[in-house]
Amino acid sequence: MAGRTRTTKKLAQRINLNYFKELHGIPRWRRILSVVLGGLGLIWLVWAVASGNPKPFNAGPVAHSHSMFGQKCSACHVSTSSYQQAVTDKQCLACHDGPIHHAEQTFVPACADCHVEHKGVFRMASTSDAACTQCHSDLAAKDKNSPPKFEAKISGFDKSHPEFLTLRAGHADPGTIKFNHQVHLDQKKGIRGPHGVVQLKCVDCHRPPGANEAWPYGTAEIVQASMTSGPVLSPGLPSRAYMAPVNYQEHCSSCHTLQFDKRFQDSVPHKEPKVVYEFVVKKLTEYIAAHPDQIHVVDEPDKRLPSRPVPPVPRNAQEWVAYKLSDAQLLLWRKACKECHSMSYPQGDEKLPEVAKARITTRWLPHASFDHQAHQMVSCESCHTKSTTSKETSDVLVPGVQVCQECHRSGANAAEARCFECHTYHDWSKEKHVNGAFTVKQLTD
Amino acid sequence: MRIDKTHKPWLIVTVALLVLGAILYLVYAVGAPGGPRGGSALGLTFGIFGYAMMLYAGALGARKKVPTWRLGKTKTWMRGHLWLGLLSLPVILFHAGFSWRGPLTAIMMWIFFIVIISGVVGAVIQHLVPRMMTTRVPMETIYEEIPHVRAQLCEEADQLVAAVCGPLDGETPAESAEGGSPGQAAGAVALLVDIEQEDRARFREIYMAKVRPFLKDPEAPGAELANPRRAAEVFDSLRRLLVPQVRGVLDDLENICEEEQQLSHQIKIYRWLHGWLVVHVPLSIALLVMGAVHAVIALRY
Repeated sequence: MAGRTRTTKKLAQRINLNYFKELHGIPRWRRILSVVLGGLGLIWLVWAVASGNPKPFNAGPVAHSHSMFGQKCSACHVSTSSYQQAVTDKQCLACHDGPIHHAEQTFVPACADCHVEHKGVFRMASTSDAACTQCHSDLAAKDKNSPPKFEAKISGFDKSHPEFLTLRAGHADPGTIKFNHQVHLDQKKGIRGPHGVVQLKCVDCHRPPGANEAWPYGTAEIVQASMTSGPVLSPGLPSRAYMAPVNYQEHCSSCHTLQFDKRFQDSVPHKEPKVVYEFVVKKLTEYIAAHPDQIHVVDEPDKRLPSRPVPPVPRNAQEWVAYKLSDAQLLLWRKACKECHSMSYPQGDEKLPEVAKARITTRWLPHASFDHQAHQMVSCESCHTKSTTSKETSDVLVPGVQVCQECHRSGANAAEARCFECHTYHDWSKEKHVNGAFTVKQLTD
Repeated sequence: MRIDKTHKPWLIVTVALLVLGAILYLVYAVGAPGGPRGGSALGLTFGIFGYAMMLYAGALGARKKVPTWRLGKTKTWMRGHLWLGLLSLPVILFHAGFSWRGPLTAIMMWIFFIVIISGVVGAVIQHLVPRMMTTRVPMETIYEEIPHVRAQLCEEADQLVAAVCGPLDGETPAESAEGGSPGQAAGAVALLVDIEQEDRARFREIYMAKVRPFLKDPEAPGAELANPRRAAEVFDSLRRLLVPQVRGVLDDLENICEEEQQLSHQIKIYRWLHGWLVVHVPLSIALLVMGAVHAVIALRY
């Protein structure tokens, strides 16, 4: 019997020539699924359009501040042509003002150029550095002939941000209060307080506004006359962002008393010389009126005024007041006040001294925001590195830009380093009130 | 399609376009105040080019439907499909700024990733598996013809056995032998091998019990003859068991079984070669449809 053979003819004969007219297996399922999946996608989207449901087409969650608009696209997207429904500045400004950045800026970008929506729930102010560096990397002014007043080439905080202005050459602390940080913060010897030697800490004097903890090293035994707290700083900024200026009443009076005569428990008020003078005169006059037997009593020389010659014995109350007033003025103007204040003494016996304004700087970086509270996990000295060694008032103890850049830099394990972290584009001091454009019903329908 | 040196120009052009696109994207992404956006001028350009590449890649299926049209060689279309389809992913990522936060865009991007991954897997399979087909399945036939060919093989085997044992359906050779000669009983089938009635009945029995079930349903689980080594053992034992006159028929039956085994192997290889298309093609079509709707709506807002 002949064996099987597979000739071309035999193979051709067993082919069904109509095989391609019907699909089997994989090609069949491929076609079915193509129709089904393509159709499902189309039906889903057409249904969404037809039912007015914009959710599938939403480019992403809106910022937290706009979440009230929900799926109401028309709140921001308005018809700008026969087809397009874009977001215009007019829509943004209908709800909130956007004050100009600077009078000299060469152009004003559209709101949406910097504040990009649909990027998720985060602050709209979190703009990209490019929004700032599009101008500040090569800053120009409107007036081409005058150079810009600010650093002209900044491309990012950790790249080309200049040193803070107050730390550049030629800048010093403008304050006039004589203060030696090293003496007050001496780690070895400490400093003498009302109840003995203590070790001061930065936070004993530098506190945010509203902090009302008592000064930890005791209170002044000498009662202050007419004490008032210093002004609250930086209105509109986070209450604990900046340190309140050091003030005499809270931070100095315990040790630096203003007692002018051992007969009185009162200190003079920490006010201008005229008020102090009147206070002393009033006190002495009242005292001698109540104690006429003291007129002829000669006091022991005051150890605080060793060079003072012993005055003659007063003949009457007026002379007594005049002698004691002279001593008190010498003690106050030439010693107690002068210890901290810069004093000037006009010619003429009757003229009171002039005290230079303290000029305590409350914000060292006026073009940037800083929040001490947000940095409270860091010790004061690790940023303010010169604080324990500074001897002069003129020393600026603000940390340099490199200190900030140790944390605020590029990279995964770094703190935010974009411009918006410290700077705001809009000059909010020029903000105008805006009446909202929507009703509650419009937003909730 | 094999990825050979003929793909080199496509590879070079693809890499060049990718590098150019990446440079453009980096410059634009770093400098754009609001970051990269699909709606910006360059973002839209990336989107248009990306979608055009996707459309071109998708047009391969249409091109195959009209093989006689003079639209360039199918191989050229296939190379373009592979490389431009692959390039469309980074271009669309540049368009999206590497973010997809909306429901539609997120779904489309995930589908896109699946399409590209399935396509790459498919390209690797298409590169490697066809060589396996030529070495392991020399008796390859058209895939869609396999059921038809199998029916013919079964019929051929039946005829071979009928030539020895008489007709397989109806009465047994033993019964028919009582009424006359084997040649007369066989009816239309002429008996070509003259053997004893007892041997004929045994041969028929063995065929009906062992070989025919396999030929009727070669994919049945546990089929003894589906394993080439086991099949060889079975046929060797049959040769020893049966009379020498039927060895020629046994050789032919073994050859038929071997062809069946190869067809089974071909089916497996075919599933590897084309199974990924069940994912790749439908999702590609869904992606193109949703991409078109996305373009229309996104341009509006």
